[in-house]
Amino acid sequence: MNGEVTEALKQKIIEHLGTVSKAKNKEVAKALGIEKHLADKAIGELSKEDRIEYIYLDTSYIKLKGK
Amino acid sequence: MGTTDIGPPDYHTMLPGVIKKNYGKWKYHEIIRPGVLKHVSETGDVVYTVRVGSPRLVSVDFIRDICDVADKYCEGHLRFTSRYNIELMTGDIANVDKVIEAVKKLGLPVGGTGACISNIVHTQGWIHCHSAATDASGLVKSVMDELYDHFTNMKLPALLRISVACCINMCGAVHCSDLAIVGVHTKPPKVDNEKLAAVCEIPTTIRSCPTGAIRRHPDENIKSVVVREDLCMYCANCFTVCPAMPLADAMGDGVALYAGGKVSNARKPPMFSRMIVPYLPNNPPRWPEVVDIIKGVVNVYAEHARKYERMGEWIERIGWETFFRLTGIPFTEQHIDDFTHAVETYRTTTQFKW
Amino acid sequence: MDENTPLLDELEKGPWPSYVKEIKRAAKKNKAAKDLLGIQELSYKDKVTHWKHGGIVGVTGYGGGVIGRYSDVPEQFPNAASFHTIRVNHPGGWFYTTKALRQICDVWEKFGSGMTNFHGSTGDIILLGTTTENLQPCFDALAGIGFDLGGSGSALRTIAGCVGPARCEWSTIDTLNIVHDLTMEFQDEIHRPRWPYKFKIKASGCPNDCVAAIARADFTIIGTWRDSLRIDQNSVKEYAEKGFDIHKLIVDRCPTDALEWDEKKKELTLKPEDCVRCMHCINKMPKAIRPGVEGGATIMIGGKAPIIKGAYLSWVLIPFMKMEPPYHEMKELLRKIWDWWDEHGRTRERLAELVERVGLKRFLREMGIKPVPQMVFKPRANPYVFFDKK
Ligand code: HEM
Ligand code: HEM
Ligand code: HEM
Ligand code: HEM
Ligand code: SF4
Ligand code: SF4
Ligand code: SF4
Ligand code: SF4
Repeated sequence: MNGEVTEALKQKIIEHLGTVSKAKNKEVAKALGIEKHLADKAIGELSKEDRIEYIYLDTSYIKLKGK
Repeated sequence: MGTTDIGPPDYHTMLPGVIKKNYGKWKYHEIIRPGVLKHVSETGDVVYTVRVGSPRLVSVDFIRDICDVADKYCEGHLRFTSRYNIELMTGDIANVDKVIEAVKKLGLPVGGTGACISNIVHTQGWIHCHSAATDASGLVKSVMDELYDHFTNMKLPALLRISVACCINMCGAVHCSDLAIVGVHTKPPKVDNEKLAAVCEIPTTIRSCPTGAIRRHPDENIKSVVVREDLCMYCANCFTVCPAMPLADAMGDGVALYAGGKVSNARKPPMFSRMIVPYLPNNPPRWPEVVDIIKGVVNVYAEHARKYERMGEWIERIGWETFFRLTGIPFTEQHIDDFTHAVETYRTTTQFKW
Repeated sequence: MDENTPLLDELEKGPWPSYVKEIKRAAKKNKAAKDLLGIQELSYKDKVTHWKHGGIVGVTGYGGGVIGRYSDVPEQFPNAASFHTIRVNHPGGWFYTTKALRQICDVWEKFGSGMTNFHGSTGDIILLGTTTENLQPCFDALAGIGFDLGGSGSALRTIAGCVGPARCEWSTIDTLNIVHDLTMEFQDEIHRPRWPYKFKIKASGCPNDCVAAIARADFTIIGTWRDSLRIDQNSVKEYAEKGFDIHKLIVDRCPTDALEWDEKKKELTLKPEDCVRCMHCINKMPKAIRPGVEGGATIMIGGKAPIIKGAYLSWVLIPFMKMEPPYHEMKELLRKIWDWWDEHGRTRERLAELVERVGLKRFLREMGIKPVPQMVFKPRANPYVFFDKK
C-alpha cells in the first residue's frame, strides 16, 4: 500500500475523467497504472474537494463535477 | 453537500463508567437469576446486567421509555444484544430489583439468559419487504407468546435459538439455528411480459436463475422470458433482479421449518439447520400450525436431550430417524436434498435405527 | 381512532411485548405509521406483501444506506405510499448513552414514521419509513448528532462485533476496537457500492461466536488463543464440593478428550495439545476455567445465507493472526480479497461462491497464503489432481 496521494496524481485523474463520460474506480486505477487502493483514496479526496461527483447506476461511478 | 463519511460515534463515548474502567479486565460471571448477569472484574468491581426482551419493531416512544429507566438506574447508559434484547447495567445490586420492576411496568419480560429460548432473530416480512413469503413480526409474537416461560426460565437442556426469515434470502442466521422458520413460495414466478420488456434486462434475468429455468420467450416478437416450471424451485432470485416476475401467491406461500443448527463452536462444530417440515400454510394472525409444531419439538427436545446438549447435538446422537419418530413429524420426499451438495446427505452406511 | 384492524388486534394479546401496540403508539402521532398499520392489516387479510420492489433513492454522495420502498396500494394508504428505510451505523458493541438515543428518536420523529428496528439483523439501527423529500434532511440531522449511514447494496455492510472485552471475560481480542477501526477505515467501501455483491465482516471475541460471524460474514474474525486455557484448581474444588458433576458434565463432554479428572484429589488437568478451544468447559465453569492469555484471532472466510448457491459456513483461512491496532495485516488481506473478488466475481456472486467456482487452491495462490492442514477437515479422497503444466 505504498504511494501517497499527490496533487499531480489527482490532476491525472481529472484529466482521465475528461476523456470519458464516467468511470469506475478500478477503471481509473487501470488506466493510470496505479494501485486500486491509491486510486480509491485520491478519488475520495477529489470528491471531498467537490471536483468530482459520484453517480450510482447499479454500481458506483465517478465523473467530473457538472460534466 | 453535507458532511459525509463521519462513521458511527466512537464506542468509547457510549460506555458506562464501570465498563470503561474494567474494559478487558473481567474475570468471571454468573447468572444470579434468570435474566440477571453478574460480571466480576479483576479490580473487584461488579456490574449487574438485567436482560430485557423487546419486540424489535418499536416506536421511538418505546426507546424513550427504556431511556427513562436507564437514566434513573443506570447512569444514562444501556446496550442492545445481537438478538435485540435490551441490557440495563448497574454497579449497585440495590438497583437490580428497581430496574426489573420498572421494565415489568412497561410490559417487558426479563430473561434470555442461560438454558432458555432467547429473543427470536427475525426479518421484516410484510411490514417492509417486497420478497416476503410470510410475515416476521407476527410469527415471532405468536411463537413467543407460547414459549414465553422459556424466555423467563432456564429449564431447557441447553440454550435454544430460534429465528425467522420471511423468504429464503434469510436475513438472519436462520440457516444455523436450533429452530428456524422460513417463508417459502411454492409457485413459480408469474411473468408480466409487458412490464418485463420495460423494466428488466433479459440476459441478466436469465442468468439470475440458479437452475437455468428461465429462457427467452420462444416468440421473437415478445421481448420477455418463459419459465420452465419443472426446473423452478421458487428461490425468487429472478424476482430480485427483475420485478416483473413476482412469486407471491396467497395460497402458495407459507413457511418451512428447520431444526438442529448452531453457530457456537462449543463441543460440536457449527451445524446447518435441516428441514423438518417442508411447508405449512400462512395462517395469520396466529399461524397455529407453526406454533403447534414448534411447541411440540421444544417439548420433545426438553424431555429427551441430555444436559448441555443443543438441539442439533441431540438429534445427531439419536439420529434423524429417531427425531421424526419421537416428534411424529412425517418424513416426505421434500426432505431429501436434490440441490448442489445433496449426495453428502445420503446415508452411506448400514448403521441406522428402526 | 376509527381504524378497524381485527387481525392485528389479535397480536396485542398474550404476554410477549406486542409490535402492534408499538405501531399503534406511533400511529397516534404520525400518519405514515397509521397507514403502515393499515397496510399490515391488509397483508394479513390478503396473505401477501403489499410492498413493491425498491426504487433508487438516496442521499448525496452515497450509493447506499437507504432502501427505497413503495407500497402497491398508494391510493388506499397515501401517507405510506413511499416508505423508505434508513440504515444507521450503530456504535461498536451496541452501547449507547440515553442522550444519543433520545437524539435519534427526536430526529426520526421529525423526519420519519417514528417506527424503528433496534436493530436490524446486520446490526444497523433501522429507521423504517420516510418520504423521498425527507431523506436528505434526515441524513443531515443524523450527521449533526454524530451518526452516519450503514451499508446496503453491493457494498461493505455495517461491521458488527460481540460485546467482547467491554463486558465479557472470554474475549481474546478487542472486538469493539476492531469493529470501529475497520468501520472508520472503510467508510468509502461502506457507502459506495462497487463490488459484485454484498460483503460482511463480523468479529466475535471467542469461539462461542455471539454474533454468528461464522454463519453470516464473508470475513469472519473469531478470538482464539495459542497457549493453554487456565484452570484455577481452588475454584474447581468449589464446583465439585457444590455437587457439580465435573466428570460427567465437563470431562465426558470435551470433544477431544483433552481433560482428566482426579476424583480423589479433586483436580482437573488439561492436555493442552489436545484442546481445540471449543469453550465448553469454560462456559460451564466460568469461575474456574478461562481462555489462555496469548490471544489473537482465527480468520475465516465465506459464510453466507442461502441465496444463490446455498448456505455456507466460513472456513479457516488464517489459523492465527495477532490482533493489534492498526490491524495492518488484516486490512491488507481484506483489500487483496476485495480486489480479487471484484476482478473475478460475477454479478451477485459472493466470495464463497467464487472461491468454490475457481477452487480454494487458486485463491490461496493469488492471496499468497500457504496451505496448512488447519484449513480442511481432511484431505481429498479423489485422485483428480491438477499439477502445474510446465
Ligand atoms: C448456482 C449454481 C448452479 C446450479 C445449482 C445449477 C443447476 C442447474 C440445473 C439443476 C440445471 C438443469 C439441468 C436440467 O436441464 O435438468 C442447470 C442447467 C444449466 N445450467 Fe446450471 N446451475 C448453476 C450454475 C450455472 C452456471 C454458473 C452456468 C453457466 C455459466 C450454468 C449453465 C447452465 C446451462 C447452460 C444449463 C442448461 C440449460 C438448458 O439445457 O436449457 N449453470 N443448471
Ligand atoms: C428492498 C427491499 C429490502 C429491504 C427493505 C430489506 C431489508 C433488510 C433489512 C432491514 C435487513 C437487516 C439489515 C441490517 O441489519 O443492517 C436486511 C438484511 C438482509 N437482506 Fe434485505 N432487504 C431488502 C431486499 C433484500 C434483497 C433483494 C436481498 C437479497 C437478494 C436481501 C438480502 C438480505 C440478507 C441476506 C440480509 C442479511 C443479513 C445478515 O446476514 O445479517 N434483502 N434486509
Ligand atoms: C480414477 C480413479 C479410479 C479408478 C479408475 C478406479 C478404478 C477401480 C476399479 C476398476 C476397481 C475394480 C472394480 C471391480 O472390481 O469391479 C476399483 C475398485 C476399488 N476402488 Fe477404485 N478407482 C479409482 C479411484 C479410487 C479411489 C479414489 C478410491 C478410494 C478412495 C478407490 C477405492 C476402491 C476400492 C475400495 C475398490 C474395491 C471395491 C471392492 O472391491 O468392492 N478407488 N477401482
Ligand atoms: C487412475 C487411477 C486408478 C486406476 C486405473 C485404478 C485401478 C484399479 C484396479 C484395476 C483395481 C483392481 C481391482 C480388482 O482387481 O478387483 C483397483 C483396486 C483398488 N484401487 Fe485403484 N485405481 C486407481 C486409483 C486408485 C487410487 C487413487 C486409490 C486410492 C486412493 C485406489 C485404491 C484402490 C483400492 C483400495 C483398490 C482395491 C484393492 C482391493 O480391494 O484389493 N485406486 N484399482
Ligand atoms: S428475509 Fe427476505 S423477505 Fe425477509 S426481509 Fe429479508 S429479503 Fe425481505
Ligand atoms: S424462482 Fe428461482 S428457480 Fe424459479 S425461475 Fe426464478 S430464479 Fe429460477
Ligand atoms: S463471542 Fe465470546 S467473547 Fe464475545 S460476547 Fe460471546 S462469549 Fe463473550
Ligand atoms: S475448551 Fe473444549 S476442547 Fe478445550 S478442554 Fe475445554 S471442553 Fe475440551
